[in-house]
Amino acid sequence: MLLEVRKLTKRFGGLTAVADVSFGISKGEIVGIFGPNGSGKTTLLNLVAGLMPPTEGGVLWKSVPIQGLPAHEVAASGLVKTFQNPQLFAELTVLEHLHIAAHLELKRRLGWRRLATLVRPDLAQAGHERAAQIVRICRLEASRDRLAAEISYGEEKMLGVAMALMCEPELLLLDEPASGLGAGEIENLEAVLRDLKAQGTTLCIIDHKVGFLGRLADRAIGLHHGAKIAEGAPDEVLRNPDVVMAYLGHSRDRI
Amino acid sequence: MRFQNRFLFFALAVALLALPLGVKSDVVLTILVFSWLQGMLAVSFNLIFGFTGQLTMFHAAAFGIAGYATHLSMQHLGVGYWTGTVLAALFVSVLSIIVGTICFRFRLKEFYFAIVTLAFSEMARLTVLNWNSVTNGTLGINLQEKPWLFGFKVNDTVSWYYLSLVALAVTLLVCSRLVHSWMGRCFSAIRLNDELGDTLGINVFRYKLAAFVAGNFIAAVTGSLYAYYLGSLEPGFLSIDQSLGIVAMVLLGGRSSVFAPVVGAVLLTALPHLIHFSAEVRSIVYGSILILTILVMPQGIYGSIAALLRKRHAS
Amino acid sequence: MGQLIFGQLLNGAIIGTLYGIIALGVTLTFGITGIVNFALGVFMMLGAYAAWYFTDTAGLPYPIAVLCAVGVTALAGLVADQALFRFTRNNLVNGLLVSIGMIAVLEATALLIFTATPKELHRVMPGVIQFMGFVLPKMKLTVFLVLLAVIFGTYAALTRTWIGRAAYAYAQNPEAAELMGVRTARLQTGVVVYSTALAGLGGALYASLYSLEPTLGSLFVLKAVEAAILAGIGSVIGSLFGGVILGVTEGVGSIYLPLAFRDVYGLVFLVAILLFMPAGLFAGRK
Repeated sequence: MLLEVRKLTKRFGGLTAVADVSFGISKGEIVGIFGPNGSGKTTLLNLVAGLMPPTEGGVLWKSVPIQGLPAHEVAASGLVKTFQNPQLFAELTVLEHLHIAAHLELKRRLGWRRLATLVRPDLAQAGHERAAQIVRICRLEASRDRLAAEISYGEEKMLGVAMALMCEPELLLLDEPASGLGAGEIENLEAVLRDLKAQGTTLCIIDHKVGFLGRLADRAIGLHHGAKIAEGAPDEVLRNPDVVMAYLGHSRDRI
Repeated sequence: MRFQNRFLFFALAVALLALPLGVKSDVVLTILVFSWLQGMLAVSFNLIFGFTGQLTMFHAAAFGIAGYATHLSMQHLGVGYWTGTVLAALFVSVLSIIVGTICFRFRLKEFYFAIVTLAFSEMARLTVLNWNSVTNGTLGINLQEKPWLFGFKVNDTVSWYYLSLVALAVTLLVCSRLVHSWMGRCFSAIRLNDELGDTLGINVFRYKLAAFVAGNFIAAVTGSLYAYYLGSLEPGFLSIDQSLGIVAMVLLGGRSSVFAPVVGAVLLTALPHLIHFSAEVRSIVYGSILILTILVMPQGIYGSIAALLRKRHAS
Repeated sequence: MGQLIFGQLLNGAIIGTLYGIIALGVTLTFGITGIVNFALGVFMMLGAYAAWYFTDTAGLPYPIAVLCAVGVTALAGLVADQALFRFTRNNLVNGLLVSIGMIAVLEATALLIFTATPKELHRVMPGVIQFMGFVLPKMKLTVFLVLLAVIFGTYAALTRTWIGRAAYAYAQNPEAAELMGVRTARLQTGVVVYSTALAGLGGALYASLYSLEPTLGSLFVLKAVEAAILAGIGSVIGSLFGGVILGVTEGVGSIYLPLAFRDVYGLVFLVAILLFMPAGLFAGRK
């Protein structure tokens, strides 16, 4: 088991955002977590990524608890997360983003010897090659040298995924990667994520878009009011009466 | 383009090296020595401010403390000038690690970082001002010794010209290597979006501290050279005005490149000497330049020219 | 000894209210425009010299001179805002540097015009009040009361009037406030000008107590910024208390501790507050 979530609970004052959720993620699978808006998905992801302390329960990453670790150490241990709203360096080009994200690769490969690259810049070359490769994987070739401020929303989200990939994640946590994307862009994203799975990257995707997750995930987890209401094969979970109620009940409330 | 740049660079280096052969005026050379030293100070400040995005007000303190520390270690430890300079730079580095750790551990940013570093700088200045038995207070210290280099005493203006030029060149080389390396990319990440940098595995605290210490180290070396060229030391070295002068040089030159602050340093150092200003008028000119630069060309001279060239290139 | 400590307490409190009135300007300007206006120090200096000019040279009675000085400073504030500060809204570093540039220009100009020789105002309101065996100069008491009245008046205006609520709304959420009809540009200019007028008032009252030098504002504004941060930026009454705490600490501290380091005590205090109570002493109170 790569990641183990045990009886995780998070309360903000009187509001319980995540209630007693347990699940595990094994190497090589794609796990989809879905639920209607406000079901606690993003909070769950932040808890899993170690970005906030839980009220109760815990998360074991490769059998070691990660709560309370600074974000850069979590990333260094191979657990990388993307943002729902893309976070970028506005003044830099797409390729420069990836060069910054090459930091962990360089650190793992050279350790303290990376100080030597200050004298011999050629030692850092491998990271640049990897960046070029990931630009291709993520279909970002066309905008490689454009500034982050000038690219489309879909490209921004893809750049977020690309930077996370540069960190050589063992588990990639994607926070609503498809939200705000057009149909063509979603197709593109699906292709990229399938490529990643083929290369053995473990993925955990959070989304409220059921169809997208249903096509991609090996296993699905349904979330409602912060609690896990179903787990299993995606099409089974989608037929689960509680899940149907959660979605339809919500949409009926809205009308 | 690449070749052109290299040629220009080479021509500039030759011209600067050959300059004392043609220019015999001691006044011009003196102005240039001061310009190169101020340039070092501005370039090192820009490593912290322009590249890592931290508005430090500790730079004058690093500069001034190093002068005193060099003098004191030469006097009390009996070491030579260069060993004294190294000791002073190490002492300043230790101080920077302490100040930097306090500021960055508590995640002070922007204005709060500026205010706290200013506070530490003022504490240092008041200590120097009031510790009469060691620093001779307001009166300052006369420095008679001159550094020796390869068997030569660095005494006349021409030898100081070369010493300061080489020191500036080394500073530019080191800073340029640093900025264009992976560490420089960590600095950019911190300046532009430190939260994102953190999630990409960059230890924000460590690299903020690295930039702060590296910048102050160079400022310390500059302070030691400056004091011994000038031949005197006084608490004014550590003053707020000194820090603001550095900020003005960097803004005028431009903060987006390693070399640009030198342009600002040369202009602001040479200007008061070329035209005879009273202290008040000089202050007015400085202030006006600061205001105009920010409002009219926030990228500085270098940045504005580079943008112009790029536009022409594109059209 | 009792008289000494009491005297230092009183002096500290008066200097503290002066810090407080500038700190109020710092806090308001920061809340609405997002910049720290160090130039408030030179507006204070301007107010002080204007008050001196209107009483000594123009021969106006002191209270009228103070009003004229406040008017002059506010006008200068309006010009500075439209010519300079307008372009630095919400850009902290640029705002800081522009205000520092202004200090350099205006202080040097004042030096050229008024020279470094201290100017003294003729004693405005001589005489003292005897109170429980302590001696209180009348003028100091008046200055203290006027400043208190202005600070509490500002507080009342901010909490009770439409303009005040608009300002609060804007400080909390600029976009929402704009959608609800707050005219942003006017509000910002208004607050910047009001802050400079407060600094001018501080300067004009200062002129009746102490001698004037062109650099008087620089030290004061640093203290005012310290006071504003001590209190927690954004707190109106807090800026008064921040100022008084700072003034009293310095006054009483200089009896027991070396005078040379007087300006450090506030800084040490400030660093400690920033590190351990980053929201300020009066966090949560508005």
